[in-house]
Amino acid sequence: MTPAISATGLTRKYYDQVVLDDVHLAIGARTITGLLGRNGAGKTTLLRILGGQEFPSSGSVQVLGAAPAENEDVLRRLVLIREDQAYPDYQGYPNFKVSHALRAASFCYPNWDPDLASSLLEDFGLRANKAIKSLSRGQRSALGITTGLAARAEVTLFDEPYAGLDAVARQIFYDRLLADYADFPRTVLLSTHLIDEAAALFENVVVIDRGRVVLDTAADGLRGMATTVSGPVLAVNSFTEGRPVWERRGLGSQASVVIVGQISPEDRERARSLGLDLTPLSLQQLVVRASGGPPGAGSLTERTSA
Amino acid sequence: MPQMAGLDEGGPLFAQVADRLAGEIADGGLAEGARVPSSNELAAFYRINPATAAKGINVLADDGLLEKQRGIGMFVATGARQRLLARRRAEFTERYVQPLLTEATRLGMDTDELIAMIKDTSSERGGVPV
Amino acid sequence: MNAMIKVARYHLVMPVMVLGLPWATLAGVFAVNAAQGGDKAFRAGLVVIFGMFFVTGVQRIGRWLPFGLALGVSRRSFYAGTALLGVSMSLVSGLVIAGLQGIERATGGWGLSITFFRVPYLLNGPWYATWLTSFVGLSALFVYGMWYGIVNRRWGMFGLLAFIAVQVLVALAVSFAYSRSGGGALLLRPADGHPATLSALGLTGVIAALTVVCLAGGHATIRRVTV
Repeated sequence: MTPAISATGLTRKYYDQVVLDDVHLAIGARTITGLLGRNGAGKTTLLRILGGQEFPSSGSVQVLGAAPAENEDVLRRLVLIREDQAYPDYQGYPNFKVSHALRAASFCYPNWDPDLASSLLEDFGLRANKAIKSLSRGQRSALGITTGLAARAEVTLFDEPYAGLDAVARQIFYDRLLADYADFPRTVLLSTHLIDEAAALFENVVVIDRGRVVLDTAADGLRGMATTVSGPVLAVNSFTEGRPVWERRGLGSQASVVIVGQISPEDRERARSLGLDLTPLSLQQLVVRASGGPPGAGSLTERTSA
Repeated sequence: MPQMAGLDEGGPLFAQVADRLAGEIADGGLAEGARVPSSNELAAFYRINPATAAKGINVLADDGLLEKQRGIGMFVATGARQRLLARRRAEFTERYVQPLLTEATRLGMDTDELIAMIKDTSSERGGVPV
Repeated sequence: MNAMIKVARYHLVMPVMVLGLPWATLAGVFAVNAAQGGDKAFRAGLVVIFGMFFVTGVQRIGRWLPFGLALGVSRRSFYAGTALLGVSMSLVSGLVIAGLQGIERATGGWGLSITFFRVPYLLNGPWYATWLTSFVGLSALFVYGMWYGIVNRRWGMFGLLAFIAVQVLVALAVSFAYSRSGGGALLLRPADGHPATLSALGLTGVIAALTVVCLAGGHATIRRVTV
């Protein structure tokens, strides 16, 4: 089955700075994928190229089977919601309102649902007759999210769309996204650095570090992959013996060791009886591990051994 | 993660969803022939991706514990509860009884002593008579 | 074609801005003119609407392009749709100018001997000539403004300066070549009694040609603009 989004050897340079470096990607149709990585990793540039708003320096991208740049057959079926979307924001009279933006979107997106748009505005407490120029950052984000979801585009790209939104509003976003996705499946690529909040949304995750893809896998495949074992030093050492270790910390008679590998129920029992605490590494911690470090060193394979 | 209503990062979410459903069936919360929540309903409840929820349901369906009625949904198969309880017993034996016997042997106890110990401990706890 | 319509509709979500503003400005200038009282001397008040069309062209790119691209149209469709809007507006506005000119003539300068809608040499002929010249002139300024907007988006301030410098050089080169070919002075307002070296219609033709140059140039320049 052809992927909804794919990139082959995608590279983007600005003068001598390489922002995306030989990116290969294949994202299946009707999935929610998380695009994760640090600030400046290249997530925004990648999304803009996928959305046809930027051009590759070399390599190729395909969305819904064709290159998106200047291709209306593709552009009509995709939506890119950017954190820094600029609107014709006149102030004073007449001003460019939320309703104007939504009306323009309504005749540009074939699947536009005005009822969903109204209900989302209500959820976020955003009034349609407010001038966009007068919106706070959070309200602008709410407008972007409303546009992105109500467009029901086959390919929906979100670039950290929650700037200025508090945790409650972000949860509204996640809930509405999941609900609408369940009723109207589509291909969603969501970039975020608030990984743990959104982790449950993702079927797959792609991690980008310094312009390169360092991880591209099912989210569930990562869960439980590494665990922090903490407690008395001797007990910890006994429990972790023979297992690959990522990190070791100690303070006095206490130790905390991160081991790789799934923990069986027998292991749990043993840990309990030894008085040890087992805490799985969260998706965010795993992603942090996959990024950072010297170039090329970011990975989830064994780096240090016991 | 607070929003996952009890799921955690300790292992694949789909497996946790499957375990919880199996638990409900084994405990009798979901009777045989009862309709199982749809993947969308589970996804909304746990606030997870519907595909993940669907995968959890499919694990049980592949195991024959759920059966699909097309157009209506997934239902608990006949005999599912018995099978799950039998499975749990088998796991219990392997996980607890085997190590118990091994340790008892190491301590030089025979089976009768072990049974007596279990009875004493049980009545001390005022718990379920074995 | 579909995309061009979408673009035009997008521009018109705030119709007042695009349709009314040039005319509101013109009305203001006219009112000032009327208040000052009329005499036969020509005041260049009408140039204001031409200037407003230029500004509108710049703004339609500068302000409206970013969200336009987010709506799923290609850059070239955005250009074409915006140009289409500008040309349509020019067509209608030109007709309105011709009409107002007719009324001005009939009322003897609005009863105040004002010559606002009659511009000697350029807009002084039959209504259809006025319409044509106004239409071409307004279109020219609109797409010229669009090109400035695009150059600014793509190359910023330096781009604009380079753009202007190139135009100045070209203009100098053309006039140098023209004078060397012995064509005589290119007078637009010849003294009475002398035939103009370039008729109003001829000038309209030159401006139409320049409009086409701007259309081609803008269309080519917008292709790699990023927002």
